[in-house]
Amino acid sequence: MTAQSSSASSSSDLLQGTLDLLILRTLALEPMHGWGIALRIQQLSKEVLQVGQGSLYPALHRLEYRGWIQAEWAPSENNRRAKFYSLTPTGRKQLEAEVANWDRMASAIALVLGREAEA
Amino acid sequence: MSFLKLLARLRAFVFPSGVARAHTDLDDELQFHLERSIEVNQAAGMSPTEARRRALVDFGGVEGARAGAWRERPGWILETVAQDIRYAVRGFGRNPGFTFTVIATLALGIGTATAVFSVADRILFRALPYAHDDRLVSVGLVQSLERQEFAVGGFYYHWRDNQKPFEAFAAQGTMLHACALVENNPAQLNCITAEAGFLPLLGVAPVLGRNFLPEEDRPNGPQVALISWGLWRSRYGQDPGILSRTIDVDGSPVRVIGVLPKDFELPTLGVPDIMLPMARDEAKERNANPGGPMRAFARLRPGLSIAEAKAEMEPLFIHTRDSLIPAQIAKDFHLSIRSLRDRETKDAQLPAWVLLGAVLAVLLIACANVAGLMLARGLRQERELAVRAALGASRGRLIRQTLTEAALLSLAGAAVGLLLAVGLLRVFVALAPTGIPFLARAGLDLRIAGFTALLAIASGLFFGLAPALRQPRSLTTHTAGARRGALLRRSLVAGQIAISMVLLSGAALLLRSFQKMQEQSLGIDTQGVLTARIALPGFRYNTPQKKMEFYLRAEEAMRRLPGVRAVAYSDSLPPGGWHDEERFSGIRAEGKAAAAQGTGGSILTRGVTPDYFRALNIPIVRGRSFSEQDRSGSAYWVVLSRLAAARIFPGEEAVGKRIERVRDGLWLTVAGVAENAKNGGLTEPDLPEIYFLRRSVAQDWGGRAPVGEVMSGAAPLMVVDSTQPPASVAPWLRAQIAALDPTAPVETETLRMSVSKLADRPRFESALLGFFAICGLAMAAIGLYGVIAFMAARRTQEIGVRMALGAGRGDILRLIAGEGVRLIALGGALGLAGALAAAHLVKSLLYQVGPYDPAVYASVALLLGVVALAAALLPARAAMRVDPAAALRSE
Repeated sequence: MTAQSSSASSSSDLLQGTLDLLILRTLALEPMHGWGIALRIQQLSKEVLQVGQGSLYPALHRLEYRGWIQAEWAPSENNRRAKFYSLTPTGRKQLEAEVANWDRMASAIALVLGREAEA
Repeated sequence: MSFLKLLARLRAFVFPSGVARAHTDLDDELQFHLERSIEVNQAAGMSPTEARRRALVDFGGVEGARAGAWRERPGWILETVAQDIRYAVRGFGRNPGFTFTVIATLALGIGTATAVFSVADRILFRALPYAHDDRLVSVGLVQSLERQEFAVGGFYYHWRDNQKPFEAFAAQGTMLHACALVENNPAQLNCITAEAGFLPLLGVAPVLGRNFLPEEDRPNGPQVALISWGLWRSRYGQDPGILSRTIDVDGSPVRVIGVLPKDFELPTLGVPDIMLPMARDEAKERNANPGGPMRAFARLRPGLSIAEAKAEMEPLFIHTRDSLIPAQIAKDFHLSIRSLRDRETKDAQLPAWVLLGAVLAVLLIACANVAGLMLARGLRQERELAVRAALGASRGRLIRQTLTEAALLSLAGAAVGLLLAVGLLRVFVALAPTGIPFLARAGLDLRIAGFTALLAIASGLFFGLAPALRQPRSLTTHTAGARRGALLRRSLVAGQIAISMVLLSGAALLLRSFQKMQEQSLGIDTQGVLTARIALPGFRYNTPQKKMEFYLRAEEAMRRLPGVRAVAYSDSLPPGGWHDEERFSGIRAEGKAAAAQGTGGSILTRGVTPDYFRALNIPIVRGRSFSEQDRSGSAYWVVLSRLAAARIFPGEEAVGKRIERVRDGLWLTVAGVAENAKNGGLTEPDLPEIYFLRRSVAQDWGGRAPVGEVMSGAAPLMVVDSTQPPASVAPWLRAQIAALDPTAPVETETLRMSVSKLADRPRFESALLGFFAICGLAMAAIGLYGVIAFMAARRTQEIGVRMALGAGRGDILRLIAGEGVRLIALGGALGLAGALAAAHLVKSLLYQVGPYDPAVYASVALLLGVVALAAALLPARAAMRVDPAAALRSE
């Protein structure tokens, strides 16, 4: 029945927390559907970050159930019904916390690697 | 697109609507993503087909994304449980035989265990309704005429003042006695007397008012009474003002000072309506010999055992015995101290243990059966599990599925089992209302229901889980695990057969004993005999003369009825139940010396009117019966039973001789000798019996109406022998009595029914044990059938090869059935050994059957052998019919 998916994790796959952060950041600009989010992350990262749909949709649903983002069905750019996600006030706060967290981690890792932290 | 739609439709079919909508939403979302991807690809110049293919490839697993997103839902776990349940139920539907067998087996095990435990609980385990019930004891004398502890004033006060082992010591009257509440609407009630210290000894406090004060427990003290909750409710509407009321008990005014608790019962097991102070004259009683009778109870000091208490009391006992009891019969008296539980239920304890043992055996067989079935199912599912594991089902998921199945089966089994237990309890009560103490009040015990259900679930889970836990990686069916499982199943089946052999043997012994009991000649003819107990209200029939007049008028009235052959009175009736006894040494033949030593055992005495022998069809073998003239004459006549005549006048003619009743020096002349009638109960040896004539003089009709246990001078029972069926005589009898006195309560019973009641307990035991044994045998047979059928199915290919190589059908039959025969022989032998080892336990329940009766064991072995062989041969025959070509082509 519900055979568990053993979705292969490729090296370009993101850490789970990181994906959440990227989704929240992307949605901070404007409400967007899943396809748009994937596309935006890809463009912003200059094609480096490929978000697998196998992780994107579970992540979207997870964030929705946590109350960080909310969804509503609306007509899309090609006049089809699509599910648009937007940031909730809780999500906005969470984004700030995650960004701060990321900065701390990044500088810490940079220190360990012996590079000067870039502001 | 159509692919996803189809999936969604399938889901909508399988899942309830709410969940289906969530699924559809998710599908739409993923669908949108794919379509955008396809559009972009087409825009980049791909053909529609290629664009679609690329989009799907880019997306990765659609199903994976869907499952991933789906699992993020908060209710996901619950939904999978629901899904597991649906899946399990569908699985059960595909295999109704398995499902039915498991549920029925569980229900039988749980139902019987629960019902029997509910009955045995009060007898063996549950605390008595008193404080410190584990330290309460019954203290007193026992002798051959009274085997329940009793005390008399001459002993009791001396003991009470000088004893050391008890922290409390108090007495009640010997028994409930009839008393009358004389008000506008007079009522016949049960009264008991008790000392002021009696309720505190039991740790019982009145729910309203107070206990007796010491000054109320003295002769000529204030007249007070405690009334029961039931009386307070039914008669006084729970009016708290009852405490200031004065009621009239047996013609004397008493003030109500308290109400007993709702569930109060005496340690002698009666429930009194009114409790009065015993108010004995201690000073007088101390010097009396023997003094008034009573029942004494005590609370042991903490940490003291009954044996220690008895050792401490022994010198006191010896002292009082030697000073009060004539040396000749002193040896017949013993000190007895028993726990209150033993006092209440001693006789019922062994049957209760035997029945508990039997249901435990049934439960074991049931668990083994469930275990075997689950194991077989697990092995059959091995392939399916392997496939599912290969398709990515996690180990946890497979285990959860198995757990769900086991839990569902157990719940269904427990539910049916509880229903069965309720039904069984009803059957028990119908079977033997008086067979087992507290039976009528037994309620379903949910603790034990829960416990047995857990046990059954645990065994089901344990064996059901085994295959899932192994998590086979290979898809082959013949694994090492299968072989281990087969060994386990074989042991389970052999164990089942052994246990059913033990059960069957026990049941057969009890049944044979019961049969012997029913077949024996009672020496009386119960056909057409009706008995009636007329409880005359004591306050109106307050002299023996008034009572006699009533009884004689009733007798006359009954004689006038058509079809009535004989009307007699007797204080007791054979073949068992209460009767009066004397010491044999208390009867002396004229011209013979009294026995030098000992009591000579007991002799049963019955006070009867002349028609007694005709009514019960007891032949007079020598001399004559009592005549109507004897009733008004002044001579004292007796009739001896053949046994009594032989004992009192060995080798001589008894008729015409005189005997003396030693206690009052009364001389009696033997009128005749009657044939022996069974009189010591159904299973006890006959006692010598002496019939006194109940003459038409007032002194022969004294005595109070008895309640429950009765004592000497009891009110007479009317015995009516009629050509009409007793059922139609009973209303006439009631009408006749009502015409004489409409307020006199009449209880009628056919003699056949009274005799049948005596067999209540053996009937109860043998019926229950028989039922359990049949259940056990059936389950063991199913288990055996299952294991043989399973093995035969696994060996289908082997059988095909053998047949192809020239094995005959007989060889195949031997191959498969031989396995069964080995199991039967092994289990049967083990069971026989177990049964023989356990047989002595039921010895005291048996009548005229030895615990090692060879015929019983032979027939049981035969029965078990035939049933088990049939169970083994059925699948073996099926295996024999295997078509070798088909068998080889399969798999």
